Amino acid sequence: MFIEQIELVDFRNYERASFSLTAETTAIVGRNGQGKTNVAEAMAFLATLDSFRQVPVAALVRDGAESAFVRATVKHDDGRELLVEVEIPRQGRVNVLVNKQRLARTRDLVGVLRVTVFSPDDLDLVKGAPSERRRFADDALVSVAAKNDALRLELDRVIRQRNTLLRQCAGRLTEEVGFSLDVWDERLAAVGDEIGQARATLLAQLQPMVEEAYQQVAGARVAVALGYEPDWRRTGLAAALTASRRDDVRRGVSTVGPHRDDIELFLGSMPARTHASQGEMRSLALSLRLAVHRLVARTTDMTPLLVLDDVLSELDPGRCEALLAHLPPGQVVITTASPLPVAARPDRVITIEAGQVKT
Amino acid sequence: MASTYTLPVQNLIDHLGRLPGIGPRSAQRIAFHLLKLPAEDVQRLTQAITDAKERVRFCSQCFNFAEDDLCPICADPRRDSSVICVVEESRDIIPLERTGEFKGRYHVLLGVMNPIEGIGPDQLKMRELVMRIGSEDVREVIVCTNPNTEGEVTAQYIGRLLKPFDITVTRPASGLPVGGDLEYADELTLGRAISGRRRLDD
Repeated sequence: MFIEQIELVDFRNYERASFSLTAETTAIVGRNGQGKTNVAEAMAFLATLDSFRQVPVAALVRDGAESAFVRATVKHDDGRELLVEVEIPRQGRVNVLVNKQRLARTRDLVGVLRVTVFSPDDLDLVKGAPSERRRFADDALVSVAAKNDALRLELDRVIRQRNTLLRQCAGRLTEEVGFSLDVWDERLAAVGDEIGQARATLLAQLQPMVEEAYQQVAGARVAVALGYEPDWRRTGLAAALTASRRDDVRRGVSTVGPHRDDIELFLGSMPARTHASQGEMRSLALSLRLAVHRLVARTTDMTPLLVLDDVLSELDPGRCEALLAHLPPGQVVITTASPLPVAARPDRVITIEAGQVKT
Repeated sequence: MASTYTLPVQNLIDHLGRLPGIGPRSAQRIAFHLLKLPAEDVQRLTQAITDAKERVRFCSQCFNFAEDDLCPICADPRRDSSVICVVEESRDIIPLERTGEFKGRYHVLLGVMNPIEGIGPDQLKMRELVMRIGSEDVREVIVCTNPNTEGEVTAQYIGRLLKPFDITVTRPASGLPVGGDLEYADELTLGRAISGRRRLDD
């Protein structure tokens, strides 16, 4: 699957620009601040209807415009051609049309286009807060199976309701509060156990793939472990919620559950967050993304588009070449401000300057 | 934002905009439409609203809309008083009545448990439901709240609430729409339908 053509209208710094991409490797080059990442962001937006920079959707609309539009021709491996169009209004819902047909639900978009983005921010996967790693795992779950999106939304909703209830009871566990908590806990336990199981299965599947990718990128054979062993999983969430009830009521927040989990990353036997060097962290972050990319390709029989947004300049020449040598087959879009490494071998180079395509 | 309309117009738009399903654009459209109508048409509309508000109240038994003390369903002696169907809102009764399958009586909760909106069991007609079970000769309660997060939680709550009574508490099955194509079913509904499958010879 690949994007043949993508058009941006009033998107970020683009008033109107169109990009023709090849089925293999296209490089988008230009100085910093010209809009390279914005193109990457637009491609990823078509796949997830969300910005990988974790900003509100309104930030994508060009200053002075009411709505941004992204339009792309997507070619599937079986020869099917799809026209995907999104309208991003400053306020209100994003509209999605596939072949001029409006999509009723976001979930229906999963599978039309899949995009894996590597960005310098990926370092946060290793270095950042647990929420970064939860997001990584849950995003991967959704890319593998669209139904997991509903599970994730349900968890958010139950946690929000339960936390509100806990705040409302102002630290006092009365019989009525207990009775209401019982049913919210039952729901949370059902959804939580399911998400916990899904995460555990996913991470077990990913582990050898991450290890393999790490070896390819870093050129070193190191054991990589993705540790996912939250305490509540040992007893089941229902029992853990019962045990933490007094604490939850006192603190007015749900202290136990999948929304508090962490996934610990180990290189060798050491936790990567505290013991790995900057270069090792970057390699590990890339390996995590690469592994999900391969898993999605394997489970969905569809090769996602790979976007390397400004990551090559962050790597030392050795790692950079190793990464390029091991890129999975499929469409690759590389953006960079520095000279392209020889190993990149793009079929097409597009130069951009101040939101305009120069070549 | 400074208002561009005179105060009475803006006031009308604001009030219309508070109605369910009416956004700012629709509120504006309806307001302009009303202002163009002949005075007597507007009079009839306001009269209809006032009449309805004055004459309609909640049924003292099931909290459906009623003109008298009891709603037409509770007042109908042919209805089976041994089965109660619990619904979120009065509007949910209409599709259930259209099925012609249900001959029992209803109980309207007037909402679902939703802490974010400040609604707990005390704000709903839960106590009244328990009192009905105690005083009427009820054998079964069908909990017909919506199959979403809040609806499911409320159903569980009712299940626990009614446990001490010697009655059957049921929840309607969820699954494929009749006459629909498998191909168009969303994966959640289809997933539930598969997990709740039954033997063909049943």
